[in-house]
Amino acid sequence: MKKWGEVALGVVTCIGGFLEVGSIATSAQGGAEFGYQLAWVLLLGTLSLAILMEMTGRLAAVSRRSYGDLLRERFGYRFFLLPFLAVFIVSLLVLASEIGGVAIALQLATGVAFRWWAIPTALIGWLLLWRGNFSIVEQGTALLGLVALSFGVAALVLHPAWPTLGRALLPSLPSHDHARYWYLAVSMLGASISPYLYLFYSAGAIEDEWTIEHLGVNRITASVGNVFGGGLAIASLVTAALVLAPREIRVDAYEQIALLLATPLGRPGFVFFVMTLFITCFGATIEIVLAMAYILAQGFGWRWSENLKPAQDARFSTSYTVLILLAAVPIALGMDPLSLTNISMVATAASLPVTVIPLFVLMNDGDLLNTNVNGWASNLALVVIALLSVVLLVAALPLQLLGGG
Amino acid sequence: MSARTVALSDLLGRTVRDADGRKIGRIEELNAEISLEHRRSDYVVTHFSVGRFKPLDMIATGNFVQQLVRRVTRATGYRRYEIPWDWMDLGDPAHPRVRRREDELPRAG
Amino acid sequence: MGTVHLSRNVIDTQLVDRHQQKIGRIDELLLELEEGKPPRVATIVISGAARARRVGGWMVACHRAVHALLGQRAEHESRVPFDAVRCIADTIELDVEGNTLESLRLERWLSEHVIGRIPGASGERK
Repeated sequence: MKKWGEVALGVVTCIGGFLEVGSIATSAQGGAEFGYQLAWVLLLGTLSLAILMEMTGRLAAVSRRSYGDLLRERFGYRFFLLPFLAVFIVSLLVLASEIGGVAIALQLATGVAFRWWAIPTALIGWLLLWRGNFSIVEQGTALLGLVALSFGVAALVLHPAWPTLGRALLPSLPSHDHARYWYLAVSMLGASISPYLYLFYSAGAIEDEWTIEHLGVNRITASVGNVFGGGLAIASLVTAALVLAPREIRVDAYEQIALLLATPLGRPGFVFFVMTLFITCFGATIEIVLAMAYILAQGFGWRWSENLKPAQDARFSTSYTVLILLAAVPIALGMDPLSLTNISMVATAASLPVTVIPLFVLMNDGDLLNTNVNGWASNLALVVIALLSVVLLVAALPLQLLGGG
Repeated sequence: MSARTVALSDLLGRTVRDADGRKIGRIEELNAEISLEHRRSDYVVTHFSVGRFKPLDMIATGNFVQQLVRRVTRATGYRRYEIPWDWMDLGDPAHPRVRRREDELPRAG
Repeated sequence: MGTVHLSRNVIDTQLVDRHQQKIGRIDELLLELEEGKPPRVATIVISGAARARRVGGWMVACHRAVHALLGQRAEHESRVPFDAVRCIADTIELDVEGNTLESLRLERWLSEHVIGRIPGASGERK
């Protein structure tokens, strides 16, 4: 019975967890400029993330060590530094943009400029980490994240053309602006497949003391949760396609994204948008800073856990404290949140190979996983994702230069 | 009877030559066992695993991947030797030498 | 039977002390070479300098520069005799008292002087 509670929690976490500033912003831009056409990118991203999460969850449950631990243990310190630095730098950028998302939400709610909200956001986030334990963090962001369902409601209210949407779930080539199309595709993939997500998921499996008994829970959480989450990202794209594209509004600022909910749902829609942006970005802020502190502590063998009092894992708690405050600086200095988001999404996409390729090695290690090693289908899926990640790495910089409006 | 100390990281990856001076591979692994001598139980190195392709060693324990690796490595001439400790001359740890010729060395499975 | 792979299963493995608390990872192993005897696994090293050395000379230089900047002359490293090993499994258990390890000095210092000064840092479980 308790297992089903865990499944429900996991699924709910994914609903809110999937939708955050990166997904909202990139899907909105995609929908505004190309209608439904880029929906296939979200489908691809959702499937890839679900597969990666299931694998890192299985890895943690069976080997009793998280992906961060195993990156050092199985590959050695020298190799570990590569994924570590890549994840760290990219996650810091994404963290800064999530704080930007919270700050924008507060600006929309209060009228006070976003830069003044950066440090307070970081401090509230820090307080939650300081005082809360892992369950509170997990459950709190999960339940509050349900407000993201308002994107689904908005999409339905607008009566999307379902057949057209269905066709858009298959890959297609653009009729105009090729560089921009593929640039948006890359940034949407970076928003969907973020290393911090599956690293956090893996560490979370250890925090929740998952064992072999939890493999079913793991599979359901990773798949169903991401279906919901991906669905909401698609809803965001659809809403942008129906609200912004006909008016030829190109997204330059977060205020325009508010139209996605405000147009179909009126004043309540605006309120839901602000709440969704605030809650999902705040949740992502907490998740990312924890993911960074986890990989730091795991890589160097420190004591770590959100369930310990800060004095008991001093290096770990110092890390998240410093990181969350550091990440607030760009927004506090007035950097444009949307630009920061776009850059961080493309950087994320480019960083994927160093965390996807080592996973292939680990998921076939019989010493770690015994009979739970990847079957041929899982391996095939992972190889495809790995190839995709290499394509993204190669394409990211050229597309940023050519298509990054 | 002077004892020297060497770091494990300084041995791993070193190119090993045989008695004729031919390169036979790199030190990929040191295998240790407990030896119950002089009342103390110490871990001592019993074998050195020496091979040509270090990265392949890392993925050598999954079943499907292991078979793939075997097929690939046989085709590319990968060879792995399990060299007993007393055949290895670590007088100069930076340049390990085996006290036998390559064709006398025991192959790994 | 009882064969331990030093590269695969020992170096970089998580260490825990006699109270099952995490105390770091094995950053380096020192082997004792004596003529006519098999190399003996002598010492476990927990040290930032040892890690830097494994990466390369440039990393060692950076490491020294950072330490000089922070005003520290001595590296906080721990050397534990390998016979303190109680169990080699997913983690390696050492029969030592974590609180006395030199390599955990930063952890203790932060706990006392930085983290400990902020309200809510210690006490009952969260």
